[in-house]
This record gives sequence, C-alpha cells and structure tokens, in this order.
Amino acid sequence: MTTPSADLARRIAVLERKIEREKKARQMAEQQLEQYSRDIYQTNQSLQTSLAYSNKKQAELEFLAKESVLVGSESSFQDLVSNTIELSSMFLKAKYSFSLISKNGTPVNLDKNKIWGRELGWHSAPAFLDQAIQYLPLNHDGALETWLVSPIDNNFGPEVAELHWLVYVNFALTNGSIIWLAFFNDTEYVDEESLYVFETVRGQLQSGIRRRMTDMRILKRTVQLQNTVNSLEQAKRQLIQSEKMASLGQLAAGVAHEINNPIGFIRSNLEMLKLYLKDYRQLHLEIDQLIQQQDSIDALSYQQLYEKLDMAYIESDSEELIIANIEGLDRVSDIVDNLKTFSHNSNGELQPVSLYESIVGALKISANSLKYEHTVDNQLPAVSPMVMGNSGQLQQVFVNLFVNAAYAMANGGTLSISAQQSNKLVTIKIADTGCGMDDKTLKKLFTPFFTTKPVGVGTGLGLSVSYAILEAHNVELHVESQVNVGTTFELIFPIVSI
Amino acid sequence: MKGVVFVKFNEFIEHLWGDEFWDELLFEAKLPSEGVYTTVGLYDDQELFTLIGLVVAKKNISAKDAQIAFGKWVFKELYAAAPPQAHDFKDAFEFLHGVQSVIHIEVKKFNPDAILPEFTFLDESPTTLTFHYQSPRKLCFFCEGMVYGLAEHTHQDVLVSHKECEHNGDSRCVLEVEKI
Repeated sequence: MTTPSADLARRIAVLERKIEREKKARQMAEQQLEQYSRDIYQTNQSLQTSLAYSNKKQAELEFLAKESVLVGSESSFQDLVSNTIELSSMFLKAKYSFSLISKNGTPVNLDKNKIWGRELGWHSAPAFLDQAIQYLPLNHDGALETWLVSPIDNNFGPEVAELHWLVYVNFALTNGSIIWLAFFNDTEYVDEESLYVFETVRGQLQSGIRRRMTDMRILKRTVQLQNTVNSLEQAKRQLIQSEKMASLGQLAAGVAHEINNPIGFIRSNLEMLKLYLKDYRQLHLEIDQLIQQQDSIDALSYQQLYEKLDMAYIESDSEELIIANIEGLDRVSDIVDNLKTFSHNSNGELQPVSLYESIVGALKISANSLKYEHTVDNQLPAVSPMVMGNSGQLQQVFVNLFVNAAYAMANGGTLSISAQQSNKLVTIKIADTGCGMDDKTLKKLFTPFFTTKPVGVGTGLGLSVSYAILEAHNVELHVESQVNVGTTFELIFPIVSI
Repeated sequence: MKGVVFVKFNEFIEHLWGDEFWDELLFEAKLPSEGVYTTVGLYDDQELFTLIGLVVAKKNISAKDAQIAFGKWVFKELYAAAPPQAHDFKDAFEFLHGVQSVIHIEVKKFNPDAILPEFTFLDESPTTLTFHYQSPRKLCFFCEGMVYGLAEHTHQDVLVSHKECEHNGDSRCVLEVEKI
C-alpha cells in the first residue's frame, strides 16, 4: 500500500514527464515546421530559377522556330531581312536596328532610311542612321564569320548617346554587295547565351539568303526564256503568214484566171442581153407604128411581130444568161471570200470550224491548178464534223496539199478527197495519182527549205509550215507514197462535240 | 514509421489503461526517442514493436490480438484525418480498392519516402474479397484490425481470415474478407 502523498508524488512525476514529453514534441514539431518552411522557400527559389530558365529557353526556341519558318518560307529577300530584323530585335531587346547593303565600303541602299525601333517599330530616322553607320566596319573585306559585339564608346552624336552595345553581322550578296544587320542595345550588357542562339540563326539566314539569290537569278532567267519563247512564237506566226502570202502569190495567176473566166462570160452575156434589149425596143417600135396606123393592134399582128423578131427565144435565152451571170458572180464572190479567209492574218486562236467547208474552200482557191487534165473526186459527205481549228490556217494546209498534188500530176490524174469518221476522230485522205516520192524525198518532206520544185517555183516551206500548223491543231499526219503510183496524205483530226 | 502511428498508439494505450501505464511502458522500454512523438516525425519501427512487446507481456495478451485491437481502434482516428476523397464510399470492399489508388497517393504527396503496404487483389465476388498483403513490416494482423474498424464504420459485418500468412511459415500473406 502506498500513502496518498506518495501516490500524489508519483502522479505528479508521471504528469511532469508527460508534460516534458509534450514540450519536447512541440519543439520538435516546431523545428520540423521551420525545416519545412526553409525547404519550401528553397524549393520556391529553385522553382523560380527553373521557371526563369525555362522561360528563357522557350523564348530562344520560339525565336529559332519563327526564324526557321521565315527562312524556309517563300517570302521575298526583302521580307526575310525585315522580318529577321524585327524578330532578332525583340529577342535581343534591341532599342534600334536596321539593315544596310554596301558595295566597296559604301552604303548603296539604306532601306529608304528606315530603322526598327523598340517603341515605334519601322520608322524613318535618317539622323540616327547617319551616326549609327559610323560604328559599322563597312570597309571590312568580305563576309564576317560570326556575329560581332562592340561597345559604343565613341560618341558620334546625340542620337546614339544612350546606347551601349552594337551587335552586327553581314552576308555576301551577288555582285560583291554585302548586307549588314545591325542591332543597337541600351541594356547594360548583352546576354552571351543570346549570341549562341544568334549564331544558329546566322547559319539559317545565310542559306536562306543564298536560296533567295539563286531564286532571283532563276526568276530572271525564266523571264528571259519566256521572252525568247514569245519572240519565237511571234516569228512562227510571221513565218506562217509569209508562207501563206508566198503561196498566194504563186496561186495569184490561177486565181486571176478563175475570176477572169466568169467575168469574161458575164461580159459576153451582158453584150447579148444588150442586143436582146435592142430587139425589145424594135418590138415596141413596130407595135407603136401599128397602133398609129390602125388605132389598135389585133392579136394576129402582134403574134406575127413576136415571131418575126424571135422574141420567144430571146426571153428564154435572157433568163438563162441572167442565171449564168448570177452563178458567175457567185463564183467570183466565193473565190474572193475564200481568199479573204485564206490570207487573214489570225493570231492562231482555235475555234470550232467546219472541217469540210475549209477543204472545199481550199479546193476553190486552188481550182485553177487542178483544172485541165485533173479530175477532182470529192467524196466528202454533206455534213461536216466540227474540229477545233483556225479556218485560214487549215485552208493554207489543204491548198498546199492540193497544189502539191497538182504539181505531182503534171500530165493529169485524179485527186481524191475522202473522209472516215468515228466517234472522236475524223480521218481525211488526200490521194493523188502523181509521180510519187522516193524514200529520200519522203524523209525530208517536212524539212524547211527542202523542195523538189525548180528555183523560184516553191519556197520549200509549204509542208514544214503545214506540219507546224497541224501540230498546233493536234492533228496526226501520215504520208504514204510510191514512185509513179501516187501519194496519200492522211490527216486525223480530233472532233469537237458542240 | 510515421509519427502519427506512435501518437495514436499512445492515445490508444492511455485510453485503455491510462497515462501512468504509458509512462511505465516508456520507462521500461528505454527508447531512443524517449517517447517524444509528433505526428509529422519519423521513428524507428522497432520502437513500436518494443512497446507492443511490453504491452503483451504486461497484459498477458497475444501480439496478434494487440495488433488487431489497435488496428480496429485506429481506423476511425486515421479516417478522420484522411483527405476528403477517401470519404466518398459506402462499402468496405470499395474502400479497400481505393486504399492504393486514393489514400496511398495522398500520403505519398506529403511523405514521398513513406513505406506503404501494397495490396494485390486476387479474387472478388459480391461477398468475398481476397488480396495479397505486402509490407516489409509484416503487420498483417494490424491490417486485419483496420479492416474490422472499416467494417464497423460502414456498418457491415465481416470476417477476416489469413488464407496464407508469413507468421505461419507461408511465403506471403493473403487476407480474405468475407461479408457475413
């Protein structure tokens, strides 16, 4: 048994120890809390450092990515330079920047005196440029290997007074020109790491500038080539027209004859009609006389007079003569129309034309060449398919073929023209029974200036020009020939559906 | 081991047998920490085993029963301190599934170095859940007690049996919880 006071003492001792433990525990907890606070502070610090670092890296990456997109884009040389100035200025926190092209140490293009400013963006600042240029070593021979940083010590004027650093680089352009990129900073120092990033950009920019220089050269060359192609086209059109005029010259005598013929018979018919008119006057006169003698005229007397002057024949013959004259005039007008189509100097534009109409027109123009000993066997159907073409040029081709055929059949023969039509194609066959050609001639058939005709008779350009025309019309051309049997030209036209 | 376990064990013992018994335990145990526990501190596992050993000897109960009793009592204490996400359940099985995916993740946020038991679920039916308890501390009976504490909280009657137990010479501990 313990006494109450001993119990109390023991109880107090237990509680004191308990309080002691609690106190110690509180101290430990407080220390732990302080440690946590310190840890949190340090974690915070290191997080902030990491954040700043990662922000910086992100800015670098953004800058690199934007510059890379810019270099790889199709933007012009001028845009590449001005956008690079903007991006780099923002990245470097430059106050002012500009680009400048120099040649032999002298500025040749000050980008219209424009500079980029942190507050104003692109703006005109000739006074600043005057002073700022003096810091650039424009006399340096060739392109720099790296970005250069130089402190702005010498005070060249009030415009540059607040600036501390100049960061610059240059690139060689064509013709010995050099482009300079210059950035002026008012910061106390230039971040060294930014310069490493700038160095990466320098490499990209260099290849970007080179590519644009090459592009410009290619563009220039393309324009030159296009001009050459245009003048060749022009020359070709002139050649086709000249050849046409030359063949027209050769046809002229025949055409004149073709026109003269109807004119001749029209004239003689008109002479005849003049005489018939005289007979009518005679009839009228004699009727008049009878009326004066007898106050009237009976049917019998009129009949006698009519028969005496052979008026029945005169009437029917007049009718025939008039019909013949109209036909003759139609022939003349037809020939003139076809000559107009033939000689028209078109720009070679293709439009839907009636193929058989072109062939028949050509036949009319060359009719005189095929007149006497030749038979023309025209088997073309009445309804013609439409082809994309130029009727003047097509006539030129057919006239050429017909005249050649006539020339090949000097002692007479038959010229057959036939057509075979399928869904999308029409094949025209032009066959003569002339002297034909040997292989040697066949091979040179479409060679310019090659001719079998005597000097002064042919230009030697007829078939080569025809070939060029047919090619432009997407026409397939085949020739078959046998000496002393004849020649057949086969022309395959694509039909246009309207 | 987390200080919260020691603090709660202290409260448990004082609740059962008073602060003088606790004082007596500490006096005899001669622990390196001298029984100065804070919930935020970390203490040697061995201190808990020493204290349990003394309780077992003095109160003449088995270590197994001591662990089960403490586990059952401490569940509601720890549950009250658990993050709100851990409160959103109605069923004991549901909670057991959430121990690893919710509670342990929250614990790790504050104590990245904490050693936590791992549960691998082996089998489940509407009434039975079997899982593999893995912990270097081998406190499967403490775990059993916690499950009873949990069932009490969800007002469910369960029976926990050790299908396999490292304390019985098996290579692992497999606990089966059966709703009855």
